Amino acid sequence: MNMTYNEAYKQLSTLVEQIEDNEIQLDTLAEKVAQAKELIAFCETKLRTIENDVTKAFSDKK
Amino acid sequence: MPQQLKLSELINEIDDAIQNRFAGKTFWITAEITDVKKQTDKRWCFLKFIEKEGNLITTEMKGVFWSNTFYNVEKFEQLTGQPFASGLQITCNVRVRFHKRFGIDLEVLEIDHSYAPGKLALEKDLTLERLLKENPSLIRLADGQYYTYNKQIELPAVLQKIALVTAPNSDGQRDFKQEIANNQYGYAFTVTEFLTQIQGDNSSKLIVQQLQLIESQKEKYHLVAIVRGGGSQTDFKPFDDYELSKYVAGFPLPVFTGIGHDRNTSIVDLMARQHKTPTKVASSIIDHNYNFESALVNLKERFFGSAENLVERAKENIRQLKRTVKAYSPSTILQKGYAIITINGKIIIDAEKINPGTEIKTILRDELIYSTVTKKSINEHDL
Repeated sequence: MNMTYNEAYKQLSTLVEQIEDNEIQLDTLAEKVAQAKELIAFCETKLRTIENDVTKAFSDKK
Repeated sequence: MPQQLKLSELINEIDDAIQNRFAGKTFWITAEITDVKKQTDKRWCFLKFIEKEGNLITTEMKGVFWSNTFYNVEKFEQLTGQPFASGLQITCNVRVRFHKRFGIDLEVLEIDHSYAPGKLALEKDLTLERLLKENPSLIRLADGQYYTYNKQIELPAVLQKIALVTAPNSDGQRDFKQEIANNQYGYAFTVTEFLTQIQGDNSSKLIVQQLQLIESQKEKYHLVAIVRGGGSQTDFKPFDDYELSKYVAGFPLPVFTGIGHDRNTSIVDLMARQHKTPTKVASSIIDHNYNFESALVNLKERFFGSAENLVERAKENIRQLKRTVKAYSPSTILQKGYAIITINGKIIIDAEKINPGTEIKTILRDELIYSTVTKKSINEHDL
């Protein structure tokens, strides 16, 4: 999955709205739960994982 | 009896020693002044320079302005709008003098007005005025608050890629990185350091250079943190620089400042998001991410709460259906004392086919009754 936090958050918000407005039927619930779980796991992992190694630009040291 | 000197002979030797060491030399000093006695009519000013450890005066020396340098005192008052009086700290050029009767003192030749406290405030006001006047699209003042392009950039939901502008091996650098690295939530950050001198006359230009470097690769970063440790008020001069302030006001990435002072605010602070100290900049970044995660957890709970309700409601519906089915099942009906009549195994609802002589089977809860109909009439009174 490659998306921004904002996108993930927005998708999760949409799922929450749908389920709170009773727009999700029982037969698609399992699929939606899996989606929600994936979005949450994506954010939680991204929050705690360093994408690139720490870089240092000692640009003033000559 | 040891050889004796006249007082004047000894004093002459002292005078010679001082002349040898100090004749023709001047020195810049920064010191607090006290016991200031201005004699405006004569254009003299006597004072004492002091140095303290806590409240204890550890060093003290007389000082004097003569009429040829007295204008320094007047200029100081003009620039700062405050009287030249005890308690001020001044930076000035002095000469060591010795007089056989009045002793040693420091003759003040010149005051460095760029270090005068009120002067800084005045310069700052002028710079702010100019920033507003020359950059109306970037900087706006409303209700005593400065609104800049930079301050209004929306922050990303999570701040993880930090461009850190600070001095190498400084307290600010250490405090910031420590706070970030030790964050209690275990958030990951990348801190890219742009190290530069951040004190002294040229440093505002050096900071601008670092910011330009960051701007040239701005997609790599979520924000810029400019941090330094505490210092005296004059050490903040680079952060009141017009060019630096203007650049920060229009900088395309959010800028957080922690320039290490609780009482004073520099112009750069006003143009950016000010967090006072390096540690506070770091903790505000961590808090920002925590707020995002809290909102996420909130959504998570709402979603799974609703999902459970949905399943629970479905289960309840099924239970309800089961009850209904059971209530209408023949065995429940028989239980209640009703009977079912059949002819040749078919349930009879309409008695049309039943006539005297017809053989019927009556089903009760526990027994079957076989009978032949003897009479049939319309149900008028019974039930």
